[in-house]
Parts: sequence; structure tokens; C-alpha cells
Amino acid sequence: MSTPHVLLGLLASGTKHGYELKRAHDQRLPQARPLAFGQVYATLGRLLRDGLVTPAGQDRLAGPDRMAYALTEQGRATLDQWLGTVEPPIPYVNSTLFAKVVVALLVADTDRARGYLIAQRRAHTERLRELTALKTAPSATVADIVGADYAITHLDADLRWLQTTLERVADWHREVHS
Amino acid sequence: MTQLHARGLVKSYGPTPALRGLTLDIAEGEIVAVTGPSGCGKSTLLHCLAGILRPDAGEVTWRGHRIDTWSEAARSRLRRTEFGVLFQFGHLVAELTGAENVALPLLLAGTGRRAARTAALNWLDRLGVAELADVRPGEMSGGQQQRCAIARALVTEPRVLFADEPTGALDTVTGEQLLTHLVRLAGEQRTAVVLVTHEPRIAAYADREIVMRDGVIDHTGLGLDAPLAGGLR
Amino acid sequence: MSPGTLARLAVAGNRTDLARMVLTALSAALATLVVLAALTVLAIEKPPGPEGTQSEQYTNALLREPGLRGGTAFALLLLTIPVLALAGQCARLGAPARDRRLAALRLAGATPGQVTRLAALETGLASLLGALAGLAGYLVGRTLLHRPDGDGRLALPTDVLPAVPALAVVVLALPAIAALATAVMLRGVTTTPLGVVRRAGRTGAPRPWPALLVGLGVLAAALFEPVRESLGPALDAWLALVVLVVAISAVLGVVLGTGTISYLVGRLLHRYASSPARLLAARRLTDDPWAGSRTFAALLAALVFGAGAAAFRAWFQLRDQLEREQNQVAGFADFQPDSFYLRTMDLVDLAVALAVTVAAAGLIVMVVEGISTRRRAYAALVATGVPRTTIGTSILWQVLAPVVPAVLSALGAGYVIGRMLMGDIASGGRTEEVCRASAELCQDPVARQNYVEFVQVDQVVSAPGVPLGQLALLGGGAVVAVLATVGVGLLFLRSNTAVEELRAT
Repeated sequence: MSTPHVLLGLLASGTKHGYELKRAHDQRLPQARPLAFGQVYATLGRLLRDGLVTPAGQDRLAGPDRMAYALTEQGRATLDQWLGTVEPPIPYVNSTLFAKVVVALLVADTDRARGYLIAQRRAHTERLRELTALKTAPSATVADIVGADYAITHLDADLRWLQTTLERVADWHREVHS
Repeated sequence: MTQLHARGLVKSYGPTPALRGLTLDIAEGEIVAVTGPSGCGKSTLLHCLAGILRPDAGEVTWRGHRIDTWSEAARSRLRRTEFGVLFQFGHLVAELTGAENVALPLLLAGTGRRAARTAALNWLDRLGVAELADVRPGEMSGGQQQRCAIARALVTEPRVLFADEPTGALDTVTGEQLLTHLVRLAGEQRTAVVLVTHEPRIAAYADREIVMRDGVIDHTGLGLDAPLAGGLR
Repeated sequence: MSPGTLARLAVAGNRTDLARMVLTALSAALATLVVLAALTVLAIEKPPGPEGTQSEQYTNALLREPGLRGGTAFALLLLTIPVLALAGQCARLGAPARDRRLAALRLAGATPGQVTRLAALETGLASLLGALAGLAGYLVGRTLLHRPDGDGRLALPTDVLPAVPALAVVVLALPAIAALATAVMLRGVTTTPLGVVRRAGRTGAPRPWPALLVGLGVLAAALFEPVRESLGPALDAWLALVVLVVAISAVLGVVLGTGTISYLVGRLLHRYASSPARLLAARRLTDDPWAGSRTFAALLAALVFGAGAAAFRAWFQLRDQLEREQNQVAGFADFQPDSFYLRTMDLVDLAVALAVTVAAAGLIVMVVEGISTRRRAYAALVATGVPRTTIGTSILWQVLAPVVPAVLSALGAGYVIGRMLMGDIASGGRTEEVCRASAELCQDPVARQNYVEFVQVDQVVSAPGVPLGQLALLGGGAVVAVLATVGVGLLFLRSNTAVEELRAT
């Protein structure tokens, strides 16, 4: 995920302090990995260097954690350009999950690979269930639901892949070892 | 506590085996998802558990009574009172209105017409489709039909609800809304649910998941009693 | 489409389609037989001699007397009405499935014309086979039944054969008409590839105007005698036409009125329904009230004719009785009035019984069809624990609730019209012979001369009584036939509610 662009986007609605940015990030992207303070300031430093954000407000000399930031013209242009660019639809399969099953088949037998797939499937389902519970809770906000939906859909895809791969383990093993 | 118990179920259609010695327990109020590829015997298992089909071998017991040996009439009565059944398509009676469809099981049980209608309206309201009371199924959307079908299945406050791909004909959002209602209402009256589905995200509504393959349980997905990966097969 | 493709697609279908084709062929065979029988009667040649010379080779007066043969042929042709009604009902068997199949063909790119031709060809082919079978049956039958009695006389006109061109026309025209009728009936079906929207044109409750048709029929029948008296015999041919129109309008009124009856009975049943079976039946009746009209058309038509015939018989019986009384008074105790008309009425009754039987066969088709189109919903109901008996009871209610009032109205209309057409019998009003002696003396032609007086007898108008027994027999028979057919239809309920029905999507 492109943290610099997310921060630019959060600043688009107005000037914010570093800790406000972190809070806004975690609230808007509920299922994403929470942002560390250090990462916020490091990113802001890079954005400042590139002239995409500018310090704003009176207490600019009070240190980085007391500093408020605003979007520059260039920053807004960069954000626009990012939003206007289509993401390439998975150019590489870049998943530990996939790699692990391949390696398991190379070094072990089908039972081991199946065992791994089943355990992984169970973990995925458990997580899917947590997200479903979160999403169907009466207190869930739309942001919660949309965030959970994103994760659920990906887990769902992984689970379908795990299930079909379970069906194909034997054939796959034969192919790998032929 | 185990309420519904199946042991060593075997069922074939001609030379094609659908169940090959399957054992399963359903406890009070729990939601069990049955998943697996097409043709693995999911629906047959559900029909045997619900007493719609008789297994060729094995037994099904309900609260200690062996029901697979019961007569068709006795099993019908059980399905009418203790069990509820829900299918992929609502299979509502086309000529009856929404409320009349929902009231049907109560009328069969001998409830008076006025009381049955009141209960039906109440259930339609609980499913958020009170406006369908006087609408024929032909004029409802697929999701609305399924909600009426859920109301019909739950109106007798059954102890077990058997749902065979209840969201199979619906889009994702509609299907999830339906399941949310189903799980909430079943939970409110401690109705156990046997949920046959091939969609992982629908199975995620369950407390427990069993994955079938070739007429037996291949492995369990969710649930506390799930054995570890190494212990399988 | 090449003819080969057309033919292959025309006969492609499931078991129901096959059953429909077999039944279509069967009814075509029946119709062919009846029409050929009528033609054979007409083919009897008048032997040389003065007008009215009888064909003495037959035992039956209906065949012997040239004046009666036209009526006999006409009665036979009337018999084709229930047969054709049966054919129409058969065409509805499995129609939803066929309509879906045709819609699928439309989706695959077939033009409406091609699809219509396909369906017409299916019916046409089946009817042609049936007609050929009927012809074969006729030819075999006439050889087998050619059994002259001791005097060399025949019970049936097995010695004559209609002209070969006439035979060919019958065998070819019946399938052509059937195919044409199919094409007409499919007009609404083939226009869209997305299946049939048959109910679109359906409006609310049926209006009670069919009652007017019955009223019109009764009125025309009531005016029949006075008009004939005032006009004299000159317009008799026209009057025969009037009788036909009266009969047809009465039948139409009764059949269409069944829609209204179904609807009203459904409403009533719905208001007081406490059991699910009655609720289901009530909703089905109000939902499609015309189903009753379609289902019972042939049966009700037969009953209207049957009741009319009962009125005729009562009239003939009364006339015979009056004649007998008069003869008794005149001293001719053993005089037997000519029972020719009564024997003819026996034949008419036989025809009515046949028609009821054929109509009942059509009813089985409709009941089974109704069950099989709803098998998914029924199977789901059974799966949720609804006993099959509840569904069976609902079907029974659905059929019986409208059929009882419909049968009564058919009997009423038929009887009233028959009664009106025949009028009352006036006797007396002139001088009559009275023999005042013992029967023995009166019997003796010479002795009786001494005892006979001529007495002025006042005119007495007698009205034939209502043949309640026969009407009850007709109505009861019809209802029993309906019950029996529903019973047979319900045998199919089990196989149609098997849980397998829920698996197919």
C-alpha cells in the first residue's frame, strides 16, 4: 500500500498534525495494518523534502510531533495523478501462501501438503468468521463493513483457491515429481 | 448437548453412492455449515438428517428417538413441528400471498386463521419484509422470496433448520443480508441450523464447518473440536 | 431449417412430450373413427323406388330409413365435439415445459415462424399417425363386424364404404386442422425468447355475462314452439339451425359461466377456509378461474346435451303413456305404441355416456398436468412436512368445489332448453272412441262394435314431469367420473413430489 499517497489524501481535506494523520488513517482503513508513529513522521519528512507538503500554523518550530502539515499545489497534483492511475491487476503472484504449498510439495509428500492446506484453510475460515461477526454486529459502521468486505472477499478468493488446490494436490505432486 | 445424531449414513442413487458411512452430531442451537464440491453428498446428507430421505444404512436419532425407521407420516409430522426446511429457491406456493405462505405451517398445525395471520405478519416484519404480506411470490424479487421462505421455515419455532444453498440464487449482498437475518433469528430462539453451501463466505456464518468429499467428511473447518492438521487421514 | 432438422427438433422432448404426442394421436384416431362412421352412414345408398323406400338390409331403423340417416350422421358428428375437446386438453399437457423448450429455441436464434412451424409439425405428425391408425382401425373393424344375421341383415353399415377421396380428405384434413389450431394457440408463446408471459392479459374477476348466453338460449328455446306454430312447416330447415345455435350458446354460456362459478366458489371458500387444503384450493380457484372452464368444457357440453336428451325422453315417455291410456279407454289393451323414439333416445344416451367418458379422460390429463407443473412447490411443501394428503385434498376441493355447481347449471340449462323445445302435450279436445265392456269383448273386432261410443273429451294439456332420476343419474355419474379421474391423477402426486424434484434447477 502506498502510505505517502494515503497521507496526501488525508491532508486534502485540511491541515493536520502528525498524530491526527495516524488516527485518521487507522479510522478510515480499519482492516489495514495500523500505522506506526515513526512511519508517519518518516513519510512526512520525505513528502516535505519533495515539496509535496508544507509546514503550516504558528508552532512550526516546536518539533515534528507538534507540527501541522498542509498539501502543496505539487502535492495535490501528485495525489490527482495517483488517483488517476489504474493499478495493474496482480502482475506477479506474490504470496507466501502459494510459495509454501509449492515448497511443501517439492520437499514432502501429498499428505504434508494437504495437511498444510487444511490447516491454512482452517485459519483462513476462522479469520473470515471473525470478520463476518465484526461486519454483522449491530454496531458496525459502513466503514467497518466496507473494510471487512474487502478482507472477506480476498479471504474468500484464497479459500476457494485452497479448496480447489486440495482437490488437485495428488495430480500436482505427480507433475512436480515426474 | 447433542440433539440430532447421525451414524454411519449410507445412501446411493442407483449405482451412484452419495453418502458412504457418514457420522455427525448437531447440538442444540449450533450452526453447522456443510461444504464441499458439487456432488459430494451435501444435499443428500441434509435430506437424510431432515427425514426427507431414508438412508440405505446407518441411523438418524433425534433426542434419542431413531427417526429413520419412522413412517413417512410420522417423519412429516416431525418436519412440520420440530424441523424447518429451506431451499435454494423459496418454493413458495405461487397462488398464495406472502402472509398466507408463512401462515401455512401454522394452519397445518391447527392454529386458527386469525392467529396464524398475526404470527405470519409478525415474522415478515422481523425479516424486514412486512410489505410483502399481500404480495404473490411471482411479484417478489429472489431475495424477498427467500425472506418469506425463512419466515415460513421459522414460524413454527423449529428446533433445527435445514437450509440447502439458501443463498445460491442470490447476489452477494442480498445473500449476506439473508444469512444475517437467519443467524440472528435462529439464535434468538436457539434453533440449530444445518447450512449446506459451497461458498466459504456463507459458511463463515456458522459456528462449525464440516467439509465433505465423496460422501464422507473430509475434514472439519471451523470449530473447537477440529483436530490438528497432522492428525488427518 | 432443413426438413430433417425440423422433424428431429419437432419430436425432441421429454416423457411428457411423448405422452402428449401419444394422446394427441389417440384423440385424432378417435375423431377419425367417428367422422368415418358418420360418412359411412351417409354413404348408404337409397334403394330404387319411391321416396321413403327403406334399406331393408339393416336391422336398425336409424340406418334403414333414409329420413333418419341424416340425423344419425349429424349425431355422430356431434360426438366429435367432446373428442376434439379432449384433443385440445391433450395439447395443454406438458405445455409449460414445451413453451420453455420453444423459448430456448428462440433464444438460440430460431425465428417465431420456425418455432411455430415446429410445434405445428409436432401436433400435425402425431395427428397424422393417429388419423392413419384410425383409418386402419376403421378398415379392420368393418371387416370384423360384418356379420349378417339369419335373415342376411346387418347391424352396422359394414357393406358400404365412403368414397376414397372422402377418406383421404378426412385423414389429411384432421391433422391439418390440428396443426393449424396449434399454430393459432401458440401465437402468444413464440413472440418472445424469454418464455411465455401468459398471464399478462388476465384481468380481475370474471363477469357474470355468460349467464346471459344461457338465458338467451332458454329464451330462444321458449319461443321455438310458438314461432313454429305461427310460421308453419315452411321454415323447418331454418328452425333446425336455430336449435343448433341455441344449443351452442347454452353450452358456451355454461362453460364460460364455470369461470364465474369457480371464482365465486373460490372467494367463498377463501372466506371460510380454515384448513390449508381449502385455502390452497380457494386461492387456486380465484387465481385462474378459467382453468375450470378449460378443464370441464367437454364434460359440461356432454351434460347439457344429456340433460336436453332427458327432457326429450320425458316428453316421448309422456306421449307414449297418453297414447296407451287412450288406447286402453278405446279397448285396445295390448296396443303397444311405437317405441322407436325411445330406442333412439337410448342411442343418444349412449352417445352422452361415451362423451362423458371421453371428457373424463381429458380430465385426467388436466389433473396430472396441474400436478406436474406445480411439482416443485409441492415437493417443497412435502419436504417441509406438509402431508401429501393435504395436497391431495386441496386438489380434490379445487376440482369438486366448482364442478358441483357447474354440473347443476349444465343440467339445469340443458333440461330447461330441452323442455322448452318440446313444449307440452295437448290431448283430447275432440271425440274419441270409448269401449264400455270387458277387455275380452273389446278385443274382438266384431263384438266391440256393440259397445263402442263416441264421446267428446275435454282438451287436457299435460306437461312431462321432471325426469329427476335420470338427471340425478347424469349429474351423479359426472361427479363420480370427476372423482375417479382426480383419484387416478392423485396417483401421480407421489412421484411428482419426490425430493429429487428439488435438485434440478
